[in-house]
Amino acid sequence: MRIINLIKGDIRFQFKYGFYLVYAVFTAVYILLIFVMPLVWRERAAAIMVFSDPAAMGLFFMGAIVLLEKSERVLNSIAVSPVKTGEYILSKVMSLLFISVVVGITIMLPTGTKSLFASVVGIAFGSAFFTLCGLIVAANISSLNQFLTTSVPIEIISFLPPIFYLFGYDSMLMLIHPGCIIISLISGNSKHLFLLSAILSMWLVVLYFIAHKYIRKMFQNAGGVSL
Amino acid sequence: MIQVVDLSFSYTKNKFLENISFEVSEGEIFGFLGPSGAGKSTLQKILTGLIKTYKGRSVVNGIESKDFRNDFYENIGVDFEFPSLYEKLTGRENLEFFGSLYSKKLRNIDEMLEMVGLKNDGDKKVSEYSKGMKSRLNFIKALLHNPGILFLDEPTSGLDPNSSRDMKNIILQEKKTGKTIILTTHNMADAAELCDRVAFIVDGNIKALDSPHNLIMPKGASKISYTYLDGTEKTGECLLSHTSGDKKLQELITSNRVLSIHSSEPTLNDIFMEVTGRVLQ
Repeated sequence: MRIINLIKGDIRFQFKYGFYLVYAVFTAVYILLIFVMPLVWRERAAAIMVFSDPAAMGLFFMGAIVLLEKSERVLNSIAVSPVKTGEYILSKVMSLLFISVVVGITIMLPTGTKSLFASVVGIAFGSAFFTLCGLIVAANISSLNQFLTTSVPIEIISFLPPIFYLFGYDSMLMLIHPGCIIISLISGNSKHLFLLSAILSMWLVVLYFIAHKYIRKMFQNAGGVSL
Repeated sequence: MIQVVDLSFSYTKNKFLENISFEVSEGEIFGFLGPSGAGKSTLQKILTGLIKTYKGRSVVNGIESKDFRNDFYENIGVDFEFPSLYEKLTGRENLEFFGSLYSKKLRNIDEMLEMVGLKNDGDKKVSEYSKGMKSRLNFIKALLHNPGILFLDEPTSGLDPNSSRDMKNIILQEKKTGKTIILTTHNMADAAELCDRVAFIVDGNIKALDSPHNLIMPKGASKISYTYLDGTEKTGECLLSHTSGDKKLQELITSNRVLSIHSSEPTLNDIFMEVTGRVLQ
């Protein structure tokens, strides 16, 4: 099954290139930080940490991963293989989703959450959402500088409203913003779980089609030979 | 195996490839020769189905290139000029990963590594490989799923003479198994040795297409050059077909005064320059 092999390949790639080691260190630091905070801050602090890092790691890491693949020219070989654009995207999403959920749970468990299930759903949706954003950006850039300048506006738009939402601007209108839904779920809010999941699913579908368009174009540019 | 008819393509309003037509038979080694920017890369993108907005026809293995589905690539192998490998994975891990993307039965990885002299290096990280070792690994990566059509881009580039010889022998061996091979190279000696036919591509057009032998022979007859002493060492030259008419040569032979005599044929490079007005090497 090609998609399973692709996901296994991506996980091996992320392991060999030290992504897991980096996250083991980050997770330890996050847990330490949470435990030195006053008790009343812990729950919100954990939600923000999980939202801004394990859940959103796709945005940061996808730039690095795709740039590495571009610099090592492996995209050339993938472009002329039976791998479909959708399989490539799905593999990236699933491989990062796996580590996001593991790291997110590791941070959330010691602090406690109202609903672990809602938190896991939030982390998973957040990971997929930000990985797709990261793929869209990464497909269109060729250097780390370009990635940073392009991803910063996305970070601001994605991160600020959810933090405001968490600190009291919790009107229903805010739930149009996918980041607000994700942080709400991560913090253990299981109310309207099905509806919120449906809204996030629609966001993912839209992002998937945009990512598909740009990744396909990226393969077309990569797959030739430089003669 | 490959039929291209009146193929045209442009990135802008100006035509980049224009009225390209050629056929490649099953089991043939067909060479593309041309300077950078001539259109070879674009032509290959069309043949491999990555560019679909062309005019004319490009049929590979019975399927129009713009209609390729992904399973079409099960039968295509591409060896890029520059290695396309995960540097932090071992040679074997790279082969295992890229092989796992195909549903076809793979060739034996150990045998492939041994074939290109990497038997003892399969478990080293690719980042520890030399340029030549990466080229050889990249080459067998394209062969691993036993494709019927191979696109080879400068396969001997960066290799030492022994490895280059081995690589050419493997290419000829793969041809014997019935593979159709599209070879792109700047190395005219390789093209002349390996290719059944070559196409000279310049400015998006095919300027000449034939076997290396047929291109060379009508364009320039063999010459002989000779040296002799006449106070100082001097050089003479005449066409091989006109030796009897060269009085000086006759005289030198009769008086045993020839110091050296050599025959030479124009190379494919000479013919390329003559036909296209460009230099490849």
